[in-house]
Amino acid sequence: MTLISNAGVLLGKELRTEFRSRELLTTTVVFILMVVVLFSFTFDPSSSESRRFAPGLLWLAFLFAASLMLQPCFLREQANDTLSALRLSVADPFAIFLAKVAANTLFLLLTELLMLPVFSILFNVPVGAVAGRLVLVFFLGSVGVSVTGTALSAISAQARMRELLLPILLLPLLTPVLIASAEATAALLDPSPVFRKDWAGFLAVFDVVFLTALWLFGEYLLEE
Amino acid sequence: MKNLDSIFAAYLLGWGVFFVFYLSVARRTAALRGEVERLKASLTKGK
Amino acid sequence: MPKRVIWGAGVLLLVMAAAYASFYVAPTERTMGAIQRIFYFHAASAWAGMTAFLICFVANLQYVLGRKQKWDWIGVSAAEVGLAFTTVVLITGPIWAHPVWGIWWTWDARLTSTFVLWLLYVAYLMLRSMVEEPDRRALLSAIFGIFAFLDVPLVFGAIRWWRTQHPQPVIMGSPGSGLEPTMRKVFFFSVLAMHALMVLLVSERYRLEKLRGEFQELQREAEAG
Repeated sequence: MTLISNAGVLLGKELRTEFRSRELLTTTVVFILMVVVLFSFTFDPSSSESRRFAPGLLWLAFLFAASLMLQPCFLREQANDTLSALRLSVADPFAIFLAKVAANTLFLLLTELLMLPVFSILFNVPVGAVAGRLVLVFFLGSVGVSVTGTALSAISAQARMRELLLPILLLPLLTPVLIASAEATAALLDPSPVFRKDWAGFLAVFDVVFLTALWLFGEYLLEE
Repeated sequence: MKNLDSIFAAYLLGWGVFFVFYLSVARRTAALRGEVERLKASLTKGK
Repeated sequence: MPKRVIWGAGVLLLVMAAAYASFYVAPTERTMGAIQRIFYFHAASAWAGMTAFLICFVANLQYVLGRKQKWDWIGVSAAEVGLAFTTVVLITGPIWAHPVWGIWWTWDARLTSTFVLWLLYVAYLMLRSMVEEPDRRALLSAIFGIFAFLDVPLVFGAIRWWRTQHPQPVIMGSPGSGLEPTMRKVFFFSVLAMHALMVLLVSERYRLEKLRGEFQELQREAEAG
């Protein structure tokens, strides 16, 4: 299907652009690390306290990082007006969004996975046994963050004060993702881990709803 | 009535919000109407 | 007398009647006493606010699909009015909670969700203030408005679900559950009155926005001529 193949080509472009410099990834990882360390000063880092607070704080750190990491998503295209070129190159503008969403999900997931062992060590929370299911939760959450974040990035790129505007738009919107992901993560990091199918399902619903909304309305965001 | 002051505060503040909103809209509408009349007058004069 | 004044007076009467009913018709609640009467004002405002946001959502859809200015005007008017009603909910909630529970804020599921709702539409208005060009502003805020409204059930759902796992004192109770018949009638009358007020405020705000549009048209004419 041309949509998928177009998106695939554009995804390749997004990945190549990023991996050439890797600056987005490295700065995001460093940022999350700093946030996590700073957060750790706000509570007693004993094991039981950590288990209570850490999952939520981890996801909060991911959300903050995402709202920064998603800034260049469309700003980058504005700089050299590559957006018009992109629009001309594909029949369906949704391909552009699909590619960016996929790229952003990948970047987010990568930073989260890089953070996981660090997090595990810092808070004495073993993650080995639940790693697979944890990755699934991370993936579902990251898709949610990425879909909404990419859309909102396209919006804020056309406004003033975009650096502050994107978090203001994005963070309230992502409340359900924060809650669901934190709960699912906490359940998996519990001494007797449980995979919360209900929260995972909820995340999937969130992802589908906003992916559909992006599909329906995304093209209007790319208008001149 | 117990807690009368709380009930009073709630209604006062609540209706306060609506009043402030309405007054702000009314004020801006009146001011803008003045501007529109001025502009219309100067346009017809120009014509 | 212009229609608007009659209409406005009618809404005012309706609202005063609802307030009267809340105090003199509705029976006193068993456990909380008189303070519970705030409920009629508080919950009715919540429903009217939500309807305003629904109007905003429909207006946003209409604008994106048809690009007629009037839908942008309706959208921003409904959003501002909805925000006013939501602010009232957030103010009356803690005032109700404090005498009953001794604390101002409890992270009660509905109140917390209302807070997020408030933040979403504050964000909507902030977005509008950051885009100068009217057509672009209308389009961008309409799309954000659509996303925001789609998020609302997800926010309420997630927070309620989350709260059932980490229960906190439920202050407000749920309207309609455990509401005695007379209370229910007074409640629905209050809801009606608040909706009438909401429609009145939206139409007033719409008139202002329409006037602004007219003004900008005239300004363009003046510059061209």
